[in-house]
Amino acid sequence: MTPLLLGALAVLLAGPVPALLARWPRLRRSPGASLVLWQSVAAAAVLAALGAGLSLTTAHVWAPERDWVGRVIAVVALAVTALVAARLLLSGHRVGTTLRQLRRRHRAQLDLLAHRERGVEVLDHDLPVAYCLPALGGSRVVVSAGMLDRLTEDEVAAVLAHERAHLRSRHDLLLEAFSVLHRAFPRWVSSRAALDEVKLLVEVMADRAAVRGRDPRHLGRALVALAESRVPAAALPAGGAGLVTRVDLLADPDPHRLQSVLVLVAAVLVVVLPTALVVLPWLLSLWAV
Amino acid sequence: MNNAELPSSSRNLGRATLGELERGVLEVLWALPDHRSVTVRDVHASLAESRSIAYTTVMTVMERLARKGLVDQTKDGRAYTYRPRASRGELTAELMHAALDEVGSADRSGALVAFVAEASADEVEALRAALSRLEQ
Repeated sequence: MTPLLLGALAVLLAGPVPALLARWPRLRRSPGASLVLWQSVAAAAVLAALGAGLSLTTAHVWAPERDWVGRVIAVVALAVTALVAARLLLSGHRVGTTLRQLRRRHRAQLDLLAHRERGVEVLDHDLPVAYCLPALGGSRVVVSAGMLDRLTEDEVAAVLAHERAHLRSRHDLLLEAFSVLHRAFPRWVSSRAALDEVKLLVEVMADRAAVRGRDPRHLGRALVALAESRVPAAALPAGGAGLVTRVDLLADPDPHRLQSVLVLVAAVLVVVLPTALVVLPWLLSLWAV
Repeated sequence: MNNAELPSSSRNLGRATLGELERGVLEVLWALPDHRSVTVRDVHASLAESRSIAYTTVMTVMERLARKGLVDQTKDGRAYTYRPRASRGELTAELMHAALDEVGSADRSGALVAFVAEASADEVEALRAALSRLEQ
């Protein structure tokens, strides 16, 4: 029974649950708590998948009569579990090394070309851009001269506060973890919903930090001004929909404490309930034998 | 060799300083009319006007820049000559476009985190409407 329960849970948490959460825009009003919920859903999905394989193995190894069918099932289950774990580790390694290499190269070039102004790197170029380059030590906030020209002083300050919030809260690590998960499994197992939603929530978090103690309209105007000036010639389906959500959320600075608490409780339950109701009884039953 | 054992002056020759030197050399090369080719000796002479710097240091830095593909190195008789591969503006444009490609592609790695994602014309229209709601 345990393998079946854990397997069903893993499938639910990998597909339908993320799809459902992503279709519930209210969650974006408490971005911090919602990010915790996304993380616990992801962690619970991985643990359930690994637990399903391991419990299927133990169910046949610990069985009183061991027939050869049972042995084959045990071996296959163990192999699949090892494969899942290996894919995760490999994906983590690949994503991590690619990211660090890209960032290192970009930073080396940046340091040769940009000049420092107000603690940020300024690239002498007309296209307006603002981005950050995360790193363990020596992260950079980068803007272009075109961006400084186009925005007012207050708008620039809001954008810089947004980028610094990303770096300070190490949002890059969160995005990296979800990229690892997304790339570890085939498309029919891991939906894009989780990664996309986490990307948006991270932006909402940085927006919130940037408007703290400021007029939110500065950030809103900056967002629109930069988006307007960067419409690509051939319009691609891109992250524009998320921008509208972000501007709408700027009008809602309320911390939504009650919702945050409820979401956090849900996040805890997602991990604790399966552990208490399924995993613990299984482990105790192994002990008893 | 353990860095901690070195006297402070040579420890300072870490990454930051190397980056500064590379930048200094590139600025000398960029300032030359028509990016004409020069030798290490020319660059050293130019840099030595404003700071004390060893000839071999300049040579090492220029070789590094050549390995990175930022300057072209050609053998001219017995000496190597160097010229920048591209102007500062061209390299800046390359870097900007690399950054925009990185944050704009659907399969972006997340190496850089951009302030705004790319939006289509319709999305910008919706965005303006959202802003006017916020402005009220």
